[in-house]
Amino acid sequence: MKFTLDNIDGQLVGIAELEGRLDARNSKPLQKTFLEWLEKTPLVVFDCSLLDFIDSSGLGAIVGCLRNALEKEGDLRLAGLNEKVGMVFELTQAKRLFSIFANRGEAASSFAAKPDSGTGR
Amino acid sequence: MKTILAFREEEFAWSHEVFSCLHPLLLPLCNKPFIEFLIDFAILTGSTAVRILCDGGINPIERYCENGSRWGIALSYGSLHADDSAQILLGKNRKFCGEERIMIVSGFSFIRYDKRLDYKSLASSLPEGEWAACPGGSITLSGAPEKPPADGAAAPLSLMPLDGMASYYRASMEALETGADRYVLPGYGGEPGCAIGRNVVISKSAQIRKPVSIGNNVQLLGDTIIGPSAIIGSNVIIDRESSVESSIVLDNTYIGEHLEVNGRIASGNRLNDPRSGASISMEDPHLLGSIKKSQTLSALPRKVAHALAALVMIAVLAVPFLFLWPLLKLGGRWRSAQIDCHSENPGETISLGKVELDATNALGAIASTLSLDHYFRLFRVLTAELALIGSTPLPAEAQHPNAPANALAYRPGVFSYAEAEQWPATGDDAAIVERYHLVHSGPISDIGLVVKAFVNRPHEKSSA
Repeated sequence: MKFTLDNIDGQLVGIAELEGRLDARNSKPLQKTFLEWLEKTPLVVFDCSLLDFIDSSGLGAIVGCLRNALEKEGDLRLAGLNEKVGMVFELTQAKRLFSIFANRGEAASSFAAKPDSGTGR
Repeated sequence: MKTILAFREEEFAWSHEVFSCLHPLLLPLCNKPFIEFLIDFAILTGSTAVRILCDGGINPIERYCENGSRWGIALSYGSLHADDSAQILLGKNRKFCGEERIMIVSGFSFIRYDKRLDYKSLASSLPEGEWAACPGGSITLSGAPEKPPADGAAAPLSLMPLDGMASYYRASMEALETGADRYVLPGYGGEPGCAIGRNVVISKSAQIRKPVSIGNNVQLLGDTIIGPSAIIGSNVIIDRESSVESSIVLDNTYIGEHLEVNGRIASGNRLNDPRSGASISMEDPHLLGSIKKSQTLSALPRKVAHALAALVMIAVLAVPFLFLWPLLKLGGRWRSAQIDCHSENPGETISLGKVELDATNALGAIASTLSLDHYFRLFRVLTAELALIGSTPLPAEAQHPNAPANALAYRPGVFSYAEAEQWPATGDDAAIVERYHLVHSGPISDIGLVVKAFVNRPHEKSSA
């Protein structure tokens, strides 16, 4: 998982790239690492364009990350969901919890614009 | 009039990838196999015989359609080469065709017709040649017209190529929405737009929004929302607070709790998006899964719990059994025979005692109430050949429920979950209840269900 910090209009936005599979094996490490990222900034984007598969554990981990971000008065926004991963978000209705953007650029810029301008919440 | 239905593998290759367990010609459109729509149309045109030709495997079609007696026509089967033209097909099937007029339906296409219209007169009066066509499919007539052209407007007819998931979805939805007015559709329901099959359990809090088609052996649990535009196949469970809208749920599928299936095709553990063609196999059985043998069935805790409970029952029932059995046996009121039943493992059978208990006198009634006719079977739980509670043992001559084509949950038990839920303990009607509990029940709830089965069990004169 690659994590970079971008300065968007004076706001520090963390962008994490999720790759391959997000399932029971790597969902806990993600949640743990996410807490470290939150120390740097509460505004985070998960770039899911390279994420091929997600199961309920992975979904639970992402929802957990969102909760952590909201507790820090920040937000977690998603970008670049492919159709397969998007289907899981729709099936489980998790799509309603997140602001989802077509790509990481739009997601990062959204923090400088309105608080919730994605397709989700 | 006779009909030839000709199919080439390349026309439905896409279907093997998406619905790998189903022969494409048996793919259900609105809960009815595709091939049946074509047979219906052949009958509407006045055909007395239909020959199904394919350049690939056709055995599943033969097994399903058999000789056509179900439809009152003669069905036969044959093979073709992918590049055979209509003329070559007629030549190769000369014996079938005889001197009659022949309609050749070629290609994997959905025929839009209206069963209320007179296609028989039209088919017998149209000139030789193409009747309707679409990319990859056609209907052609061969032989001289049997009647002069009819006056008036021609019955409308068109073809829709089934060349992918999107067109399959469209055709299914079209059949659902036009409904039983135009096509012969399965199921029964009190009102138009709502076809419901046999043994469908609908929770009081479930909502059905028309149009819907629901197959046989379906459970719609609490607060589910089905429809509008939902096609639910057979042997399906929709778990609590889930919704299915503008979607197709194929046979033997479990939809977990709190899910929203919208604009999708769910087949076993596979979720498909007909618009984009995307497909994902779920690895979480509680989200989406095939209704099949659960891994937990063979779990040690469950077997131990069943064995302990069986031991208790053996001990408790020993005194009445040792007292009543000799009396009933001597009085000719206890007759037993051995029957071979499927075991949990496909290909294996177990021999079980079948007891016929005459419960018309007091002793027989007591023995029946105490389920003493199952006493010997309790010992089979200790050897893990039977579960204490599970599926109704299935006679060996029937197809095994866990055969790959079915992949359903089955574990024979002394008592059945159907008895616990007071469902008819025999036949297909109980199957969905048993499958549900086999997948969802645990060791503790099993013991509770045994008590229920023991209390509820229909104590008939004879029992298996």
